[in-house]
Amino acid sequence: MNLTLLLAIWASPFIRPQPGSWRDPDEAANYTCTRLSLEEAERARPGAVRPRGPRGDLYDRDVMLCQERILPLGLRLDGDEAVLSSLESRVTELAGAARGYRPDLLGATWLVEVFYPSPAVSAKISFAAKNALMAEGLRVSDRAPTLAAGDVQVITRMPPEDAYPTACRRYADNGSLRAGEVLLAVVQLDRLETTLHAGLCAAGSWTWLR
Amino acid sequence: MMSWLLGLSLAFAADPAEEAQRIELERARAQVADQVHLAAFDLIDELVYQLREEPIFAQPTPVVLAGVSVPVGLGTGMQALLENHLAGVLIANPEANLQLVHCPQCTAVVVRSSAKGTVVSRGVDDPALLAELGVEAGRHALFIDVEAEGAFLVLRARLTELSPSLPIVWSHTLSSSTSSPALLRDSTALKSAEEARAEYLNLLNGQGSVVIPARVSVRTYALPEGDNAGTAPPPFIWLQAGVELSPTVARRWTSGMTLGYALIPEAYQGLMAQARLSRLVSGQARSLTHPDLYLFGGLSLSTVWGPATASFRNQALTLDEILTDTALDEPRATFGALQLGAEVRLGNRVGFGVFLETMPQFKTSRNFGRYATLGPVEAHAFGAEVALCF
Repeated sequence: MNLTLLLAIWASPFIRPQPGSWRDPDEAANYTCTRLSLEEAERARPGAVRPRGPRGDLYDRDVMLCQERILPLGLRLDGDEAVLSSLESRVTELAGAARGYRPDLLGATWLVEVFYPSPAVSAKISFAAKNALMAEGLRVSDRAPTLAAGDVQVITRMPPEDAYPTACRRYADNGSLRAGEVLLAVVQLDRLETTLHAGLCAAGSWTWLR
Repeated sequence: MMSWLLGLSLAFAADPAEEAQRIELERARAQVADQVHLAAFDLIDELVYQLREEPIFAQPTPVVLAGVSVPVGLGTGMQALLENHLAGVLIANPEANLQLVHCPQCTAVVVRSSAKGTVVSRGVDDPALLAELGVEAGRHALFIDVEAEGAFLVLRARLTELSPSLPIVWSHTLSSSTSSPALLRDSTALKSAEEARAEYLNLLNGQGSVVIPARVSVRTYALPEGDNAGTAPPPFIWLQAGVELSPTVARRWTSGMTLGYALIPEAYQGLMAQARLSRLVSGQARSLTHPDLYLFGGLSLSTVWGPATASFRNQALTLDEILTDTALDEPRATFGALQLGAEVRLGNRVGFGVFLETMPQFKTSRNFGRYATLGPVEAHAFGAEVALCF
């Protein structure tokens, strides 16, 4: 009996914590877990995983790698968190779509404009989108096209499906979007959605990418 | 009038629950910023290291640090920390060929009014105006953004030429995850992440997950009190050795199993098997530079024999028993004990610990007193130990 207890105490650290019945659901939500093979885990976390023995293991082992979110859920608005948590993959996808949609614009200079309710998040999306376009090998500028105050007054009263094509036309008409330049606009159409839409404006013509 | 003023003041006073929530959020944000800034420093170090290895410019080039932004939700204090660190690392690594220059016009908000209208912008967004303000041409603006994206901290950097078309001449994205330890590189001797990782692993490999502890412990038994009190056993000195395992190099949890032997000639001998479970309480991971404090609980099974072990029984010793034990059959006792204690480890090489022990088998014995009582549990023994780990 005593020996059983001794062994139980000795072995207890090897019951690893992971999301599930042993962990509070709120706490588990702050973890992203991926199942890795032993070899992948050794590469990802050297020193943390016991390597396979020279004669193999007595049983099959794999590794659940759980990484904690840097900012726990609840510190930012849910909508912003959803966008920012996957920002890199979103902008990479958008840049790839933009590049592939209009091969004739590969030589153009790309500008980026973001229409998102939060200025801080807009700046983040814009920064990430510019870097993603650069990574696609495109020529990118930090310049932003501008509209006159009168244009803004009119356009902001239009429904989105009319507002963006109109703004695109005005950019071309007032010369702030020049020939040889293309604008990638990243748009959140509805405050309740977490999808980022994108459109291209070139030579006064607006096209929805997604 | 007074009631109106009171009502007005109450209306404008913050709801205590909201205020408490706001304070709690600020505390949580500060805590996160405190934890994240080392990882952000690492990303900046890696960025400058890469710039040093592959400079963007062939010659030292003036660059304005136009903006450093931190994860949405974290405060400006972290922004100032990152700016200072970036400036410090760039100055310490002139081979990166980026010369930080002061340009208040570049980062200030400027207003230009003309026949076309009035434009309000930052200086770096209006290079033509900068030229009018006397800022020399050919400068570049460096933008840095750090963002928390799930489990990853992502650093983005871009360099923009301050000419009318504002072309971005270089950009880069780096990321690290919450599971990556901070590299803590020396800013004057930057290494690649691979080199720093190799050093880190070498250090960790020096102290793997298996440790062999050799321990000397002394147990003293509480003297019994009151009428019919018996005789407490003498102090026991144990030599123990075994193996201690930890599932990770952080050594937050460790478990050990040791075998012990005690010998005082003509007095007693003993054998012991002990299992122990320890939990690090002085941090999230074992420190390479500071002592670590562990709390532990354990279970042991001992067998002792010899003239001095006669007290390990429930009845008070009589003179006859002492004489009989000594002259004829040596007394022998086998008992279990539960242990609770604390240990300070120095560099995971030397440990000093104290503990209390209870022996349920002798709960009603007249030969044992108690050092402390926790509910139904009586601490019959107090011990101190010194451990050397190999």
